[in-house]
Amino acid sequence: MSWALYLPYRVAHLHFIIVANMAISGYAAAYLVMTWHFPFGWALALGFVLGGIIGYIVALFIGDAPTFAVVIVGFTFIYIVRTVIENTEAVGGTMGMFGLPNIGGSPILHRWTMIAILYGLVLLVGFCIYRFDHSRLGRAASAIFVDPDLATSLGVDIKKLGILLQTFSCTLAGGCGVLYGFIFKSFHLDYFTFHMVGILMTVIFVGGYATLWGVVLAAPVLYGVPLLFPPQIASWRIVIYGVLLILVLVLKPEGFITPRFVYNMETFLSRRRKKRNTL
Amino acid sequence: MEVFIAQVINGLSLGSIYVLLVTGFNLLLLVAMIIHFAYPQVVVFSMYITWVVLRLTGNSLLLGALAAVASSIFFNMVSAPLFQKVMKKRGEVDINSTMVLSMGIGMIITDVLSHGFNKGFPIAFPDELSGKTAILRIGLISILPGQVSSLIVGIIAVSGFFLLLYKTRAGRAFRAIAEDPNGARLVGIPLFRTGLESYALSGLLGGIIALLLAALLGSASPDLGEQVAHKVLAVSIIAGLGNLAGGLVVGLLLGILEAIVQGYLSGSWSNAIAFVIMLVVILAKPKGLFGIKL
Repeated sequence: MSWALYLPYRVAHLHFIIVANMAISGYAAAYLVMTWHFPFGWALALGFVLGGIIGYIVALFIGDAPTFAVVIVGFTFIYIVRTVIENTEAVGGTMGMFGLPNIGGSPILHRWTMIAILYGLVLLVGFCIYRFDHSRLGRAASAIFVDPDLATSLGVDIKKLGILLQTFSCTLAGGCGVLYGFIFKSFHLDYFTFHMVGILMTVIFVGGYATLWGVVLAAPVLYGVPLLFPPQIASWRIVIYGVLLILVLVLKPEGFITPRFVYNMETFLSRRRKKRNTL
Repeated sequence: MEVFIAQVINGLSLGSIYVLLVTGFNLLLLVAMIIHFAYPQVVVFSMYITWVVLRLTGNSLLLGALAAVASSIFFNMVSAPLFQKVMKKRGEVDINSTMVLSMGIGMIITDVLSHGFNKGFPIAFPDELSGKTAILRIGLISILPGQVSSLIVGIIAVSGFFLLLYKTRAGRAFRAIAEDPNGARLVGIPLFRTGLESYALSGLLGGIIALLLAALLGSASPDLGEQVAHKVLAVSIIAGLGNLAGGLVVGLLLGILEAIVQGYLSGSWSNAIAFVIMLVVILAKPKGLFGIKL
């Protein structure tokens, strides 16, 4: 999910609509599986497609909009989706959906299937983003981030790239929504709130918004470390995230993993590899 | 028809609060050059401080009002160096990073309110502040003291603010910075000090809004700030970022629209309809109905 937020931020778009997309695809998939007995694979695919379609339609309007307009569209979508779900009895309304079935029958098989899908997805998406970052499109996105006017004068189509990144991130969010629900075997509106936006934002800005490795470092640390805290402290984790976010913005605006850091690491590793080969 | 009139009166009270919020938000945007997304959350925080002071002082309205204004100004002034630091780091005015910073502040305020006050349950203000008995009742139309006071004080505060902005020396300095910061510096306007004054002034407005909201709603919850923050940013974008006159019109219209929808539909749907209308306007005209003034 953090990568879903990272991608559009490459062109300075904080695309919070991904949280709404998670909810839409997740609830839709859960409804299909529980009521119409759809196979999980089909429901997951539908989640991706639904997320992508919604993302594309919205991106047609805000593909080149300023950041604050993208933010407000995202928040508006979250509120609208929450209200609609809250008032739709078919998906449990305010109570949510519980008792989602195990994939593959038994709980153990369910667990391993989920782990396999998740890690497979992380590797696939990570590879795609890595390739994107090292392509012409990635450089175009960096140019838009630094100076949209300059990027336009260099021939970059801001709107097209914005649409591409927003659609991809929404597709990803759709799939994540389905997986999220089936991992916890339930859906509740409390998952899709401003808190989730805050957590994702902290992951991106603390880890480093200019490279995909920032998310790789920050997501497990920020999610995992509070689990080690005693419950009294862990319940304040949003405050901790908020303080961390502010400190990083003030003291280290690019986050912990910067492109320079990644470049230095790559150089260091390639030197070591060369040395080993010569020996 | 009675329902309609009653809801329009409600809407005017609510709208005047939106107008005040948008005005404070736009002031910070134009003069201090920040998108203070958490400004409404600061207002809700002040409401909570007022609630605490009212409880401690046996519902002393004067002390409650002072606490609301003081806490709001204090919080705004404390956050000022953080915003200044973030902006300095990025070389020049950077609306995006200040928006993210204020979102961080908002996260902290909301979570502190939901953990540290009244065990996270919504708080209720005493009747002395909101008033429960109607001043006027004609059929379905009933006018409560809270509605009247928020409307009157809202009109006075907005008029006072616009007078300050357009008829005083300080107001001219604010507008000069909003129009052209470099030009303002050239003619000797101290940017830093005027920026700080805008934080203090929006803090003062925030304190007044906290009192009016407490009088109008009679209660508050930790997530109230998030909902209002979203609406304020939406009003500001629909009107055109930084457009004070546009904010006045759109703020009032949103208040009336919301109240009318609430009169005919159940509570949660009314919010969704208001949001859908906002979404359509934002998607169709991302630069706002009255144009961006940045």
